[in-house]
Amino acid sequence: MIRKFTIAFALIVALVSFSKKASAQCDTVTNACMRHMTNKYISDGQHYRALLLDKEIAEFQSTFYGGTTYRIAVCSGLGDGNLVFRIFDKERNLLFDNSEQKNSPYWDFKFVSTLDCTIEAQIIPGKAPSGCAVMMVSFKQ
Amino acid sequence: MNHKKYLKLTLFSFAIISAGIFITGCSGDKKDDGAHEEDVIDTNKDNIVSVNGELFSIPSPLQTSILLKNSGANYSKDLLNVTSKLPGYSTEYKKALNLGVYGADLGYVIIYGQTQDALGYLNASKKLAEDINVSGAFDANLMKRFEKNMSNNDSLLSIFTSAYRATDSYLKNNDRNAVSGMVITGGWVESLYFTLNILKKDFKNKQTVIQRVGEQKNTLDHVIKLLTPFYQNPDMTELTELTDALLELYHDFEDIEMKYTFVKPTTDVANKITTINSTTEVKITDEQLNNISEKLNGIRQMIIN
Repeated sequence: MIRKFTIAFALIVALVSFSKKASAQCDTVTNACMRHMTNKYISDGQHYRALLLDKEIAEFQSTFYGGTTYRIAVCSGLGDGNLVFRIFDKERNLLFDNSEQKNSPYWDFKFVSTLDCTIEAQIIPGKAPSGCAVMMVSFKQ
Repeated sequence: MNHKKYLKLTLFSFAIISAGIFITGCSGDKKDDGAHEEDVIDTNKDNIVSVNGELFSIPSPLQTSILLKNSGANYSKDLLNVTSKLPGYSTEYKKALNLGVYGADLGYVIIYGQTQDALGYLNASKKLAEDINVSGAFDANLMKRFEKNMSNNDSLLSIFTSAYRATDSYLKNNDRNAVSGMVITGGWVESLYFTLNILKKDFKNKQTVIQRVGEQKNTLDHVIKLLTPFYQNPDMTELTELTDALLELYHDFEDIEMKYTFVKPTTDVANKITTINSTTEVKITDEQLNNISEKLNGIRQMIIN
């Protein structure tokens, strides 16, 4: 019983310290990623981050409004091109894959009509260690 | 997925996790804000993790204000939540939701260039952010920059959206995802409220705005899923009531017809831009619009009063 408690306690301490470290890491990545968001774009006011290990894929769903141009930036680490990101429509048709664009950390999207999409992001093996992946979404007025 | 089933599944997952924690002797008496429930990974997709513990993002209320202005609708101050209600918001639940409400109102005011009203909404947002212990997002420097740029709408938008993004970031970094969800929900309800009520007035491009209301079907689904991890949390009974009201509202959205047609995107590599050519056609009847409007007005009353 004491052994179980000790292991549990050690796990909790490890998780808390990992979480604090991860939070600080995410802030650093966010600040580095901001450089892709120029004055022409307005932030959607939300913060998206995920802690990715090995081959994990971060996935999020969003609605993009027709007649709007969006900029999506996806970053991990301090350098560019560490992540692959793909956009799918609701029927899983691939709409965009940044690996076809030299792993560009950001890209602009002009939506002709309103669409529900899924965005997936994955750290490229060997490019960056496991860690915080940050995504930023902004739009043109 | 059917929402009731989704809620049940989440509660069931939570029960399994709770049982696991109990069996391994790791339970404690620390008050749970429900944030742990979000870490459940979908085992059907082995390597997929949710972003921030939540799988969904809600479009900015600002985009709706931009659409309203571009559609020729006049500025309607009477539809916004008055800042004099601020002292009445005494719980974290009310403060968080109305931080979202005032944020949507502030965005609307700036888009319409009504800067004389902007400062009041900024101050109200600052007060609520401070009250829910979000430090730094609305600091003295931001307030000074805002006042200095009163004649420049673009700068005001940039300053105000960065403050709301900083708020969201602070809340998520501190595992306060329930509060973050409430701020986002407040903003969504408020922007849909003024959209539906502006539709009762005359302006040139009503059809585009009606279509935007119909397009909220998926966004409402996302809002509900954002709040689901906190459903039936005994410390958040008001949030459970709000989620129930949103579920009721979803019933009125359910029958809206949406026809999706895939069209291959086109990419301009030199300018790093892809045009997404697929289309979504929305069919919403007057009856559906009226029912949505009636229920949404009730939900907004729950939030602001």
